[in-house]
Amino acid sequence: MEAVTQQIPLEHFLALSAILFSLGIYGVLTRRNAVLILMSVELMLNAASINMVAFAAYASPELFTGMIFAIFIITVAAAEVGLALAIILRVYRNRGTANVDEVSDLKW
Amino acid sequence: MGMSDAWLLPLLPAAAFVALTLLGPYLPRRGDWIAVGAIGGVFVLTLLIIADFTDALAVQGEAFAGVANSIQWLEVPGHLELRLGIHVDAVTIVMLAVVSFVGLMVQVYSLGYMKGDSRYGWYYAVISLFIASMLALVLADNFLLLYFAWELVGICSYLLIGHYSHLRSATEAAKKAFITTRLGDVGLLIAIILLWRETGTFNIQEVIAAAEAGQIGTEILTASVVLLLLGAMGKSAQFPFHVWLPDAMEGPTPVSALIHAATMVVAGVYLVTRMLPLIELVAGGPELLLAIGLLTVFLSATMGLVMTDIKRVIAYSTINSLGLMFVALGVGAPAAAMVYLFTHAFFKALLFLGAGSVIHATERQDVSQLGGLWSKMPITGVTFAIGALSMAGLPFLAGFWAKDEILVSLLDNRAAFVLVLVTLPLTAMYMTRVLILTFFGEPRDPESHEHAHEGSPFMTVPLILLAALTLVSGFVVFDQVGKAMGFPGGIGEIIFLERAHSFEFDVAVGIGSTLLVALGIATAWFAWVARPSVPARSLALLRPVHDLWANKYYLDDLYQAVIDRVVLSIARVVAWFDRNAVNDTGVDGPAYATRYAGYLMKFQQTGKLPNYALGMVIGVVTLALVAFSLKA
Amino acid sequence: MQTGYILLATIAVPLIAAAVLLAVPSRYPNVVRAFAVAVSFALFGLSLYAFFAYQIAQVEQYQFDLRWTWIENIGMLGEEGITLHLGIDGIGAAMVLLTGIVTFAGALISWKIDYRNKDFFILFFVLVAGVFGVFASLDLFFWFFFYELAVLPMYLLIAVWGSSSVFPTFARTKEYSAMKLTLVLVGASVLIFVGIFAVFVEAGLGTFDLPTLYEVEFDEDFQKIVFPLFLIGCGVLAGLWPFHTWSPDGHVAAPTAVSMLHAGVLMKLGAFGIIRLGMQLLPEGAEFWMPALITLGTINVVYGAISAMAQTDFKYMVGYSSVSHMGYVLMGLATMNAVGVNGAVLQMFSHGVMTALMFAMVGVLYDQAHTRDMRAFGGLVKRMPHFVAFFSIAGLASLGLPGLSGFVAEFNIFLGIFRTYPALGALAILGAAITAVYVLRMMAQAFFGPANEKWEHLKDMSRYEYAGGALLIAFMFLMGVYPSPFVDRIADSVLRIPGIG
Repeated sequence: MEAVTQQIPLEHFLALSAILFSLGIYGVLTRRNAVLILMSVELMLNAASINMVAFAAYASPELFTGMIFAIFIITVAAAEVGLALAIILRVYRNRGTANVDEVSDLKW
Repeated sequence: MGMSDAWLLPLLPAAAFVALTLLGPYLPRRGDWIAVGAIGGVFVLTLLIIADFTDALAVQGEAFAGVANSIQWLEVPGHLELRLGIHVDAVTIVMLAVVSFVGLMVQVYSLGYMKGDSRYGWYYAVISLFIASMLALVLADNFLLLYFAWELVGICSYLLIGHYSHLRSATEAAKKAFITTRLGDVGLLIAIILLWRETGTFNIQEVIAAAEAGQIGTEILTASVVLLLLGAMGKSAQFPFHVWLPDAMEGPTPVSALIHAATMVVAGVYLVTRMLPLIELVAGGPELLLAIGLLTVFLSATMGLVMTDIKRVIAYSTINSLGLMFVALGVGAPAAAMVYLFTHAFFKALLFLGAGSVIHATERQDVSQLGGLWSKMPITGVTFAIGALSMAGLPFLAGFWAKDEILVSLLDNRAAFVLVLVTLPLTAMYMTRVLILTFFGEPRDPESHEHAHEGSPFMTVPLILLAALTLVSGFVVFDQVGKAMGFPGGIGEIIFLERAHSFEFDVAVGIGSTLLVALGIATAWFAWVARPSVPARSLALLRPVHDLWANKYYLDDLYQAVIDRVVLSIARVVAWFDRNAVNDTGVDGPAYATRYAGYLMKFQQTGKLPNYALGMVIGVVTLALVAFSLKA
Repeated sequence: MQTGYILLATIAVPLIAAAVLLAVPSRYPNVVRAFAVAVSFALFGLSLYAFFAYQIAQVEQYQFDLRWTWIENIGMLGEEGITLHLGIDGIGAAMVLLTGIVTFAGALISWKIDYRNKDFFILFFVLVAGVFGVFASLDLFFWFFFYELAVLPMYLLIAVWGSSSVFPTFARTKEYSAMKLTLVLVGASVLIFVGIFAVFVEAGLGTFDLPTLYEVEFDEDFQKIVFPLFLIGCGVLAGLWPFHTWSPDGHVAAPTAVSMLHAGVLMKLGAFGIIRLGMQLLPEGAEFWMPALITLGTINVVYGAISAMAQTDFKYMVGYSSVSHMGYVLMGLATMNAVGVNGAVLQMFSHGVMTALMFAMVGVLYDQAHTRDMRAFGGLVKRMPHFVAFFSIAGLASLGLPGLSGFVAEFNIFLGIFRTYPALGALAILGAAITAVYVLRMMAQAFFGPANEKWEHLKDMSRYEYAGGALLIAFMFLMGVYPSPFVDRIADSVLRIPGIG
């Protein structure tokens, strides 16, 4: 078991998570389709989970707080996806589009 | 029933007031008998008290300093104790006699005069409250109760002047009377509080003692005396507060007789008499008093000359008399002032009740619509003539003796003496004029003359009694009379104990004043009987003077203008400021500013999701950078 | 020393009544009315008992003491952290009585409300519970809680049952007035809130209990900084200039009974707060700031009176006269001497009763004539003699006629002011003279003079209005003629306020 933490330095995990997170941000900022934005958000959540797990494994291996948090995030994300997709579905049914720029009734 | 039980006096009519107010409509005759019974009781009790007083005098002589009795009203332990109490001494006795007797006469008279009035019960209720307050005022041993009663007589006066409330003029007159006197009362209240601040007591005797012992600083004492005088001037209709009294004639005539001639308006004189030791401690105090009195005497004598309303003429003569009392007080002759007050109450009440009798019979009160009533109303005519000539100062009537006392006291003050002498023929002239125009000559309004008749005995008996007193009450100035009545040393010695004063009759002054009065009467006879064309001709000649007098020296107009133009304008400006500056700018301003800020900020909500996301990213990155830079 | 649950009852009874009313079907408006009047009568009885059973000159300052711990030993809260601590001193006793009187009179006057009267009385009783709570609370937390409870129902009461007015030069909608009143008062209460927490933290005892905090000697600088928070925060509710404008507009928009409670009782909460929180908690701060308060109080008196003189609307006139009369209360408090503060508390009672009567009478007229412009009337005494008598008595009390409550109170205040600030005392007395001007102008204009035929149809007061008015008048006379029961209770407590000389 001791293999992974000794063979691969922490920085690799962090870099992976940073890349994933940046991709997520890029997606959120550039995409207009609500489904794709949602997918990008999921990407960012997963990046955060990787971070948590990695830190937990390296910093305090005897504790499992990071893993617990990751599981929490996965659970919340699942609920969130369910809710968000339902909303997007309703919006699409109502307006015939999932383009977030066109759904702007709440501005001003 | 001794002097220390005198607190019962105000309670009787006060109880009548409560009974009439609460039960009035359910009582037979609207309860007038309760009110008259109460004042009758007061009169009897007053006689008992006077008897007790003369007994005390007989035992203690001049050492008698009065009887006091008081109860606690409220207390802030260690800081303030307010007591209500009575103090009976010679001055009180005089006032009690006047108030209870004239009060009784007027209430009996009102049984006839006010009959059929739509607010008969209310009238009797208020007049009972008035009597109660007036008795409390003269009995008060301290400033608190005095002020208490002072305000209550003011409100009774207000209610009674405005009794005919459907008349706009009566309502306005009532308002004017109350507000004018109230302005003076502001002074009185401040004076009372200032004196309390210096001496720690409201008791009148204690305050005077403290002042004489020099415990009150000169400045405070001066200020309090001036403010005190303001109160007295307001109540006693002295210049420049005199404007309310002629207008107060809008009230029922018995009210004018009781409140605006015999009792309430002399409250100011009473107060000044009580406080004279204090006033004389202040440099210039007596002189101020004298100047006010003289000015009032002169102005009222001239204005009375041109008035045509019978009640107003008498009202100006009242102001004249009150001015004379102030003059007497100003030269340090309180005994003369008190004796004038005493006799004046009778003949002035008589004049008003006589005028009321005329008004009741003819429903006219302008002399240009009266005339020739002598044969129709002989009792009223004779009694009115006695009153008018007494006011004019014809020898051997009450007014003559009292006026003579004042003139004698003025002998040392040449200017004042001359000025008062000048007004004598004027007063005599207008009193004779009103007598002639009302009772002699041809009736100028035949219709009202036709059904004129003498009133019921309720009205004539008080007239006769008052006329009798007008004939004899002046003799109290003689020591022998006073001794016979049980006042050792004569009334002059007793009425003002601190300053024993034997009345003296100066023959030269008496003859001189009689001549002047005769001159006035003769002029009036000449102008309105012998040569009726004279008034019209002199009017043509003296038009500006007549207008000045008839318009009351334009003082009323001036006051009205000040109220309308200045006071109300200020009020409107303040109200405008409050609405526009304080509220619409100061309060609504921040509200609008907040709303406008929200308006500006709302454009941040573009409705574009990526914008929000970008905002979040920038925020997080900035925070992270800040955190890092702080760490480094 | 009295104990018992009576203070709790004064708070609980109206709350229970509100809950019961929720269950009454709104199709029985008369049941609602009868129930509301019965409950308010019970409250009147309770408050009367509390007042007269209160014993003078006891060792303990607060009577009917009752303490129920709510939260303790959690976080910053220590022993007796937040307790429902009730108790009244003489000042509180007078105020509780006042609340009882005005509540009962207000409920009687509200008999005529037709529109959703169930909801009206529910909010009415919530408000009343809040007011009783403030006067009885000896715990800062609950004091504030009840304070807010008393203020907030006002918004709905005005916005739903109030009336909008259009005047020649401006208009006031009831929503505007309700919003302004609530926002200004809530804004002011933020200051009180900050002050309460500052005191809590500075004392460091972990308790909100007032008697405990009274024992603490706060640092002088701290007192000087925190006292203005209480002074302004509470002062706004007492109509302190220049934060008074919510009051006239609020009165004009409010329905009759709400105006009565509002001017009669609610404005007293502010003055009461200045005593309870300000002067008792922070005596040195009070001493430092009182010259400022007396200046503002003088402005209140004179400015309010002059503004009232320019009004032609009955309610605005009464509203501004309230500003003026509350100025006397503030001046009395600011004298910091026993006579002046005693007078201020007397004035709180006196003004409460008097102004409630005035608003009740304006309501009598407005509900029939649908206008409040006094110039439109004339000779009302012919049609409505009792109404005119009642209104006039209120007016005479407000101009300080001896024999009525206003005189006793104002006389004490004047004495107190003259002891410390003679020049301002003269101004205050002048204010009373201006009061005479506007009261008499109003009476001359509307009540007397030639009768206006337009108002032939007006009827005198109904018996409920008559009863409510007579109740208020009875207390005006009682205090005016025999003030000792009030003064003995109040003075005893005033002398225990630290810093009163």
